[in-house]
Amino acid sequence: MTAAPEPRDGDPTVAVISDGRDPAGVGRPWVPAGRPATPRRLRAKSNAADRVFRGGARASGFTVLVIMLAVGLFLSLRAAEALKAVGFRFVTTQEWQPDTHRFGIAAVLTGTVLIASVAVCFSVPLSTGTALFISEIAPRWMKRALVTLVDLMAAVPSVVYGLWGLFFLQGQVVGLARWLSTWFGWIPIFAVDGADPTNPLATASVYTASTFIAGITVSLMVAPIQCSVMREAFSQAPPGEREGAYALGATRWGMVSAVVLPFGKGGIIGGTMLGLGRALGETIAVYLIISPVFQIQPHILQNGANSVSALIALRYGDASGFGMSALMAAGLALFILTLIVNFTASSIVARSRSGAQSEV
Amino acid sequence: MSSDSGHRLRRRARSAVLLAVSLALAVLTAPVPAFADTYVPIDGAGSSWAANAVNQWTTDVKQYGMRVTYAGNGSSDGRQRFLAQTVHFAASDIPFQQHPTDGSSPENPTPNTYAYMPIVAGGTAFMYNLKIGGRRVTNLRLSGPVIAKIFTGGITRWNDPAIVADNPGLNMPAEKIVPVIRSDGSGSSAQFSLWMQNQQLSIWNAFCAKHSCGLGATSYWPTFAGAIAQSGDLGVSGYVAQSYAEGAIGYVEYSYAINRGFPVAKMLNAAGYYTEPTPYNVAVALLKAKINTDASNPAVYLTQDLTDVYAYTDPRVYPMSSYSYFILPTVTSKKVSTDAGRTLAAFSYFFECQGQQQAPDLGYSPLPINLVQASFDQIKKIPGAVTQNINIQGCNNPTFSRDGHNKLVDVAPQPQACDKRGPTQCVNGTGGAKSQTTPSKGGTRTSGGGGSTTGVTASGSPTPGASLRYDPATDQYVGAGGDGGTDQAVAGVPVALAARRGWSGEQTLMLLAAAVVLGLVLAPGAVSLLLGGRRSR
Repeated sequence: MTAAPEPRDGDPTVAVISDGRDPAGVGRPWVPAGRPATPRRLRAKSNAADRVFRGGARASGFTVLVIMLAVGLFLSLRAAEALKAVGFRFVTTQEWQPDTHRFGIAAVLTGTVLIASVAVCFSVPLSTGTALFISEIAPRWMKRALVTLVDLMAAVPSVVYGLWGLFFLQGQVVGLARWLSTWFGWIPIFAVDGADPTNPLATASVYTASTFIAGITVSLMVAPIQCSVMREAFSQAPPGEREGAYALGATRWGMVSAVVLPFGKGGIIGGTMLGLGRALGETIAVYLIISPVFQIQPHILQNGANSVSALIALRYGDASGFGMSALMAAGLALFILTLIVNFTASSIVARSRSGAQSEV
Repeated sequence: MSSDSGHRLRRRARSAVLLAVSLALAVLTAPVPAFADTYVPIDGAGSSWAANAVNQWTTDVKQYGMRVTYAGNGSSDGRQRFLAQTVHFAASDIPFQQHPTDGSSPENPTPNTYAYMPIVAGGTAFMYNLKIGGRRVTNLRLSGPVIAKIFTGGITRWNDPAIVADNPGLNMPAEKIVPVIRSDGSGSSAQFSLWMQNQQLSIWNAFCAKHSCGLGATSYWPTFAGAIAQSGDLGVSGYVAQSYAEGAIGYVEYSYAINRGFPVAKMLNAAGYYTEPTPYNVAVALLKAKINTDASNPAVYLTQDLTDVYAYTDPRVYPMSSYSYFILPTVTSKKVSTDAGRTLAAFSYFFECQGQQQAPDLGYSPLPINLVQASFDQIKKIPGAVTQNINIQGCNNPTFSRDGHNKLVDVAPQPQACDKRGPTQCVNGTGGAKSQTTPSKGGTRTSGGGGSTTGVTASGSPTPGASLRYDPATDQYVGAGGDGGTDQAVAGVPVALAARRGWSGEQTLMLLAAAVVLGLVLAPGAVSLLLGGRRSR
C-alpha cells in the first residue's frame, strides 16, 4: 500500500526522453550547442531478431483478422440460401421449421439476450465483489490462492457446469424461483403461466428448465473472465491517489469508492461486456438445461427458453441441407450480435482512464 | 556377487520360459485374437431408444478386439449422419423418410447403397413420477385416448375423470400433468405419432392443425403449453426422475425407466387389459408386425408395419411395441472401407446371435428366429463381410424353438385378472419400481395372488404394525404389501387447502426480515452520520 510509485508511461519523470530536454529539468538544452533545439529523432537499428519478432507479431495479428473475416464470410455464404428464401421475415418469425420455410430468429435471439442478461445480473455483483476483495482486502497469501481458484473456475468444462446445473442447481433454485413468482409475479417478467402458488401439491416443474436457471449457470461460467478483467483494472489504480485518499482520512471503503472504483470503471464495464459476449455464445450448458420453445418467452422463471447456440447444437445433427443453411444464418446473427457487444465494450474501455491497460 | 547374478540369470530364464509358454497357449487356445488385428475402429450414431442395447453390445465386443463407438443422439441424427457418410452405420427406429408428411425435407439415400437390419425389439414406455399423499404411485394405468390427450395438451390434471376411470384403485391428486417430450428429431416421437395417427386420429389431427406438424408421423413432436422438451431418451428419463418433476410423464424405451428405477404406465390393449412393456408382452405384440419380405427392394425390405399390432386382441399385448433397425452400408465409400465392413459384419453377427440373450435383462425383447435369419443375410451384403456359419440354435436366443415359432410367446404369462379393465386394480409395481406396491383405496383393493407375491418377494416379514419398510435404494418407505389392510391408511386422500390471498402474516414477516437486514446494514452508517453531524456543529 505504501510502496513508492513506480515510474510509468505518462509520468513526467519518464516522458522527457522524447522532448529533448534533460531529466533534471534545469533548463539546459540537452542537444549540443549550435544546433536548433528540435526533437532528436530516435533511430534504432533493428537487428535480425527485432525484424523476426516484428514480422511474427504482425503476421499473427493479421492471421487473427483473416480468421475472423473468414468465419464471417463462411457464415454469410452458407446462410445466403436460407436468407434469400425468407428475406426480412428471418428477423420477425418465431418458429423454426426450415424445411417448410417458416423459420426466424425472433424467439431464439430474444431468448439468447434474456439468458445472457440474467447471467450478467448475477455475475457482475459476484465478480465485482470478488475482484475488489482480491485486489484490495485479501492478504497476500490468500490473494494468490484466490486468483488460482478463480482461474480454475474458468477451466471447468462447460458440459460439467451444464450437468451440475441440470442435476443439482435446478432443484435448489426452484424454491427461489417459486418465491419470486409468488410474491413478485405482478412484475411481468416474473410471472409464470400455469403456476398455482395456492396449491401445495402444485408441481415445481413449471419453474424448471427456464431462462432463469440457465442464466444462473451461465453466470458462473462468465464470472471468472469478468473477475480477472476487473481485478486487473483495480490493481492498477494509482498508488499515489490511494495514499492521497488515506492521507485525507478516508477509510478503506472511502478509498475504494473514491479512487479504485472510479479508476476501474472502464474495467468493470469492459469485463461486464466481455462476459456478456461469452454468455451470448454459451452452448452446451444452456442446451442441457432449457426446454426449447419457439416463441418469445419473456417470463424468465417459467419453463421454456431458447438460445441461438443451443438451437444450433440441438438441430445441426439432423438438419437437411437447407436446414443447415438456416442454422448458419442464426449463427451469423449471433456472430454479428457478439461483435457489436465486444466492439462497444472495447470502445467504452478505451475511453476510460484504466482502459489503456485493460485486456479488452 | 556371483551368486546374486546367478539368481538374476535364473530368474530371467524362468520368466522367459513362462512368457514362451503363455504365448504358445495364447496362440493355441484363442483363435479370435488372430482376427483382432484386422478389426478397425468403427462408429455409428442414431436411435437413443435402442442406445442402451447397442452400448451394451459395444462393450461386449471389446473382448474380441472390436472398437465400436456409438452416439445415441436420436434416429434423425443417425440417418443424417449416415447420409453425410460421417458414420459407418446408423441405428434408426424408422426407415429413411423419403416422402415425409410433416413438412421436413425428404431424405434421399442413394438407391442400393444401404440395407435395413432389425436389431432388437422393445416397447415405448410411459415413465412417470407421481406421488399420492407422499407415496410413489407404481401401478398407474392409462388407456389409449388418455395417453393421446396427455401428450397433446387435452388432459392437464391427474384427477381428470378419464384418468380416474382408468385407475379405480387410486385417489388421483389434483396435480398438473407435465408431459415430457423429445426436443430433438427422434424415432420414438415418430413411432408414437404413427400410433396416434393410426389409433387416435381425431385427437392427433386436431393437435396437428394447431401446431402445424403435417398429417403423418413426425420425428419432431411439437411443443405445446405445459410440456417440457428434453433431448434424447436419457434427457427425458433424467427429467422425469428429478424430485422437482412430480407429475411428469414422458415416453422412453422401457430400459430407461428400469435404469432410473421408475415405474411405467400400463397401457390398455385391444383385449381390454392394461399391460406393461415386458419382453414377453412386446414379443407377443410383435407377432402381428407385418415385416416387408420383398427382398428385391432394399429400400423397404424388412421394414415394419405395426398397424395390426395396435389392434391385436391377445390379452398380453403391449400396443406400443416396435423393432429398431440398423442401417447398413452395402457398398464401399470414402467412409466405409472393406476393413470397416468386416468389423461391422462381425459386430452385427455378435449382437444378432449372442447379443440377443441380454435383451430381456436390459429391458428390450429379443428378435424372433425369422428376423435373425433374415439379418444374417443382410450382413452378407456389407462390403468386406466375412460370412460366419452360425448354428442358429447355438445363439441361446430365448425366442428360438425347434420348430421355429417364438418360444417367448409360449411362456409369456397371461395378465392378472386385476389388470382387466374394470373396478379392480393390481397393486404391484411396474418398470424399475417392481418391488414397490401401491395400496388401493379402501374397498376396491384386490387380493389377487400375483399382486401380493410381487410385493412379498421384496418385503420382509409382513408383521402388522411394521408394514412400512425403509428402502435405501429409493430413499423412502415402502409398504410390505403382502398383508392386506394395514397399509390402507397410507393411501390417503390428497386435500388441497386454499391459501389466503392478499396480505397475510407471511408478507408481514418478509417485510420485517427485509427491514431488519436493511437496518443492520444501514444503521451504523446512519448513526455515525448523525453523531458526526452533531459533533461538527
